[in-house]
Amino acid sequence: MKHTQNSENFGAAEFKSAPSRRITEKNLIGKKAQLKIQQMAFMLMAVTLFFALAGMFVLIITFSGVKESAKELHEKNAILLAAKLANSPEFSCGNVFGGGKINCIDADKVMMLKEKMMVKYAEFWGVSNIEIRKIAPELKGEIICKSGNYPDCNVIRLRPENITAEYSNFVSLCRKESIEGEIHDKCELGKIMIAYDEE
Amino acid sequence: MKNKKAQEEIIGFGLIIIIVAVILLVFIGFSIKKGGEKETVESYEVSSFIQAFLQYTTECRDINEYLSVQKLIFACKESEKCLDERESCEVLNSTLKEIIDASWKVGEDRPVKAYSLEILAGEEEILLMKKGNFTRDSRGSSQNFFKGGESIDIFFEVYY
Repeated sequence: MKHTQNSENFGAAEFKSAPSRRITEKNLIGKKAQLKIQQMAFMLMAVTLFFALAGMFVLIITFSGVKESAKELHEKNAILLAAKLANSPEFSCGNVFGGGKINCIDADKVMMLKEKMMVKYAEFWGVSNIEIRKIAPELKGEIICKSGNYPDCNVIRLRPENITAEYSNFVSLCRKESIEGEIHDKCELGKIMIAYDEE
Repeated sequence: MKNKKAQEEIIGFGLIIIIVAVILLVFIGFSIKKGGEKETVESYEVSSFIQAFLQYTTECRDINEYLSVQKLIFACKESEKCLDERESCEVLNSTLKEIIDASWKVGEDRPVKAYSLEILAGEEEILLMKKGNFTRDSRGSSQNFFKGGESIDIFFEVYY
């Protein structure tokens, strides 16, 4: 009897819960779809973000490269200009020190012409100042070359302003020297430094 | 069904990794190419340094003149002596050391970490000069010249 009652009760309960179960199933499917849509949205956002970051990375790399190559080109131009200056007739040794020497500066000639040179040629060369610095043999301190102390000095500056340029090139700095009454060629090691006009 | 989905996801992940790796490789390739260009610019400085020091007048004198480094190299190869009885190789060594130390200041806190200079006459080594801590970033240049069929090769390298 008890059993019959129970089974009846169970049947009634089953009968009552069927539509509600259908509703729950529908809800569940809807929730799953929402979840899928959310998942896709997040995925799309992540992919977009990834490509945006990658794009930014590419742009940064590209622009830093452009800056670097511009700087390199500027440096190369300055070094080549320094070499060109050293080999120009106003500076070069010519055949005075035996044979055509490359990257050789006639110090005597530069000392004679230095005052006029910057006035006449600054625009032609496109430089604001030129400095020739003796490197070896090394002298203590910075001694600016004037007609009174030449050649016991180590800096020939065509204009009195200080030069802070790092654009330089190694040159041979030659002059005539009298040793025990004989005239000898004396070549030392120097650097030609230029202050570069940006325009 | 679940397994297939997991496989698809793994394939997608793998594809993304491959794409990222390819992009990275392209960047690395570009940066290496740029590094090579820089070397050409800087070795130009080293090359002009070699040209300039070859013309440097040394304290070694023969009957006619004070010898340049270039002439002193040949004198050293022939084991000749200077007019003041000093060995030409000794003068060559001290002169080059003085020139290089004045031009390329070497030190841990300086941009130039080390240098090496090698002068060869054919296979024979005339001079080898090294100083500092050698790094992997180096710029160098070489120069060769002839006298009476004899070839002299000069290699100079600066390490940053």
